[in-house]
Amino acid sequence: MSFNLEIISPQQIIFNDDIELCILPGIEGDFGILKNHMPFLTTLRIGIAYIYKNKKIIETFLVNGGIVEVSNNKCTLLSEDIVKTSEHKDQKTDDKIEIEKLRVSKKFYYS
Amino acid sequence: MPSLKDLRNRISSVKSTKKITSAMKMVAAAKLKRAQDNAEKSRPYANKMKDIVFSLISRSSTNNIKFSKTDNKKTVLLIVCSADRGLCGGFNGSIIKHTKNVTDTLKKKGKDFKFLFVGKKAHQSLRRLYNNLTIDLVSDFANPSIEFNIASSIRDQVLKLFFENEISECYLIYTKFKSAISQNVESQKLLPIEKDDQVENHKGAIMYDFEPNEEVILDDIIPKNIAIQIHSALLENLASEQGSRMTAMDNATRNANDMIDKLTLFYNRSRQALITKELIEIISGAEAV
Repeated sequence: MSFNLEIISPQQIIFNDDIELCILPGIEGDFGILKNHMPFLTTLRIGIAYIYKNKKIIETFLVNGGIVEVSNNKCTLLSEDIVKTSEHKDQKTDDKIEIEKLRVSKKFYYS
Repeated sequence: MPSLKDLRNRISSVKSTKKITSAMKMVAAAKLKRAQDNAEKSRPYANKMKDIVFSLISRSSTNNIKFSKTDNKKTVLLIVCSADRGLCGGFNGSIIKHTKNVTDTLKKKGKDFKFLFVGKKAHQSLRRLYNNLTIDLVSDFANPSIEFNIASSIRDQVLKLFFENEISECYLIYTKFKSAISQNVESQKLLPIEKDDQVENHKGAIMYDFEPNEEVILDDIIPKNIAIQIHSALLENLASEQGSRMTAMDNATRNANDMIDKLTLFYNRSRQALITKELIEIISGAEAV
């Protein structure tokens, strides 16, 4: 019960594998794609794409806009701004955490 | 006949030229590798996008998409992609030549044209021929890689001109990368978007379910498509430039080698001639005594 999902960005092909289900943030609401989905074309908003295989989430992506085409058991996601959630790092938050750590470590508690 | 000192100077100057050209060849080869990778990686996205857009247009029931009509019927915008620097063989020359051919055919059809240059070289040589027709010049964009926002800013400029009825058509002239020794200058139509006959043949294919609807999706993805086509053209162009420079510099190095060989031979012969002459002078002088 699997179909092919391909995620392409202008820089590279990010994902290309057979999967069972993907849930994508469509412009009019989230939608899931299973095998034998009807031909479908929509645009994406900002959100998270979940990819399932063997009834487990194997990968999640942060998507900021894009296009999805489904036809003939092949799903293609085109996006200029897409990144694996695990690889995504918000530099600002990290910096803030570091600053807080420093502040806390320098504090004299027993003075 | 040049003196021996002149010859020595000449040989050493050719040698230093050879050093420069062979260094440039190495640099170009390294850059080519990266540029080629980038160009090839961008191809699947650009091709898929193109497919989707054309299949959408060919299926679309309405003929009046907002990207296909304009009140201006005369002016054509040419986006000419060339290099910022020279010393890359016939690369810039063939782009300029192609552009001139395009403008000649446009002239015959009685159309006006304007230019948007990407890269300095084409601008430098065409601005003399076509005065005041340049809209903009984008340069120094490839350091070291080409950012996507350059393509989108060019796209914004083009669309603005299109909606203000300044232009009716837009073509992109760039060099498509095949290999380090063969590149082709191509022109690609960006605007207006029309159903052409070739696309018409695809009819009878599956009907898509659109969300929200065809027109909204088209309005959303056509600008994206234009930007990505420009972006991939720029990447192809950069790879072609480096490839062209590499072969040109390879040739130059080989020519310098040939020249050094010839000059050294000539130098040795003249040196030998000089020695023989002096010997003859001494011997005949001794005989006379």
